[in-house]
Amino acid sequence: MKYVDEFRDAELARALGVQIAALTEPGRHYKIMEVCGGHTHTIYKHGIEAHLPENVELVHGPGCPVCVIPMGRVDDGIAIARNPEVIFTCFGDMMRVPGGNGSFLDAKADGADIRFVYSPLDALKMAVANPDRQVVFYAIGFETTAPSTALTLMRAKAEGITNFSVMCNHVTIVPPLKALLDSPDLRLDAFIGPGHVSTVVGARPYEFICEDYNTPIVVAGFEPLDLLQSILMIMQQLNEGRAEVENQYGRVVPFEGNLRALEVLQEVFELRPYFEWRGLGFISQSALKLSEAYADFDAELRYATPGVRVADPKACQCGEVLKGVIKPYECKVFGTACTPETPIGTCMVSSEGACAAYYNFGRFAKSAARADA
Amino acid sequence: MSRAANGTPGMKIGEPLQVLDPGSYAVACSVVDGCLTCGDVAVEVKVLEVDGFDAVCEDPHGQVGRVGIDLVLPVEVGSRLLVHAGVAITRLKESE
Repeated sequence: MKYVDEFRDAELARALGVQIAALTEPGRHYKIMEVCGGHTHTIYKHGIEAHLPENVELVHGPGCPVCVIPMGRVDDGIAIARNPEVIFTCFGDMMRVPGGNGSFLDAKADGADIRFVYSPLDALKMAVANPDRQVVFYAIGFETTAPSTALTLMRAKAEGITNFSVMCNHVTIVPPLKALLDSPDLRLDAFIGPGHVSTVVGARPYEFICEDYNTPIVVAGFEPLDLLQSILMIMQQLNEGRAEVENQYGRVVPFEGNLRALEVLQEVFELRPYFEWRGLGFISQSALKLSEAYADFDAELRYATPGVRVADPKACQCGEVLKGVIKPYECKVFGTACTPETPIGTCMVSSEGACAAYYNFGRFAKSAARADA
Repeated sequence: MSRAANGTPGMKIGEPLQVLDPGSYAVACSVVDGCLTCGDVAVEVKVLEVDGFDAVCEDPHGQVGRVGIDLVLPVEVGSRLLVHAGVAITRLKESE
């Protein structure tokens, strides 16, 4: 297949749904977690669940980096941004994430020089253009995004740019998966593996899921047929009693990943002993900080930050949503006090957070289902 | 195939977007369907010109801008890359 329409062919989708249904055992309930927020978005936008039998449930995972940023880290960023000499840069989807004392957008309205960029390389360009200011980049993201930060730091070092630094919040994909598998309140039959994270890390890091937890994982692309085919591959594995890492997204994801990108990550970053994830708590060795060789560019070493842990608002149930324990619409404030315009929790901020994706697309299907009932 | 090809309501592939600073790395990251960092959205671009460790690339909407190509070398004019946050993370095969 070459064109996008072919990956959205309704007839093929229906045929895949029939094949999936044929492989399900009546009376058994299947829980499959899509790890990545991009997949969640596709599932709701294209109504993937409508093609699945009722006993195949898709559970949304923690693969949205904006959603897993704890409130205290937003407050730390705002503290840096309030320094008068600082131009603070971040991705646009971080701007509205609420911290304990407002968001970056609130701080910007309050006078802090906060600008959003599409790439850390643009933040570096800003540093070159403003030699009398300090440019700080608030780095977030999984292994898909970390290479862009790493590359930017390597260029900054090579070019001798000293008025640029990074507040690093990069996280890694494997530790939260392990935490979920160890969680007593969640039983999963299989994972739909992240697509573009795997472009960098490859599919090999997921082998422990099969070997240690006897659970299948299929790395999937982002089109509707990609997801349905991945679910079919999972059902085939479950039916045959297999638990293997399979790569449905072979047209983009090499099994070994991008070795050059992994080398760069190794050089620029090192693992933090632990890091707080919203909803998942502290997970050991699950996030990155700048390595010794790049410590001069570490904004957390240049500027004082409160470093205070801030508890999530009591009404917010992002934690349970991120762990797949509840569906977005089961949260007490979903769609009422918490909407994309006035989010309480991070899952409603990012358009690929499970709550926002469900609010934008899924709630209509749910309303229709209720009306039919 | 990439998320960029998903398009957006009211927008067709090939329809030009706003003209951005052509020296910006924003071209491949002006994701219109979903957010930039979440999940792992990346977009496909075609290389128009190689300039050291950068390439001038065109996204499916016809926007042109720069992309860091350090991690996917060698890159040639016509190569297709998957780009995230202004940096190419993989080179796509011709048949993809």
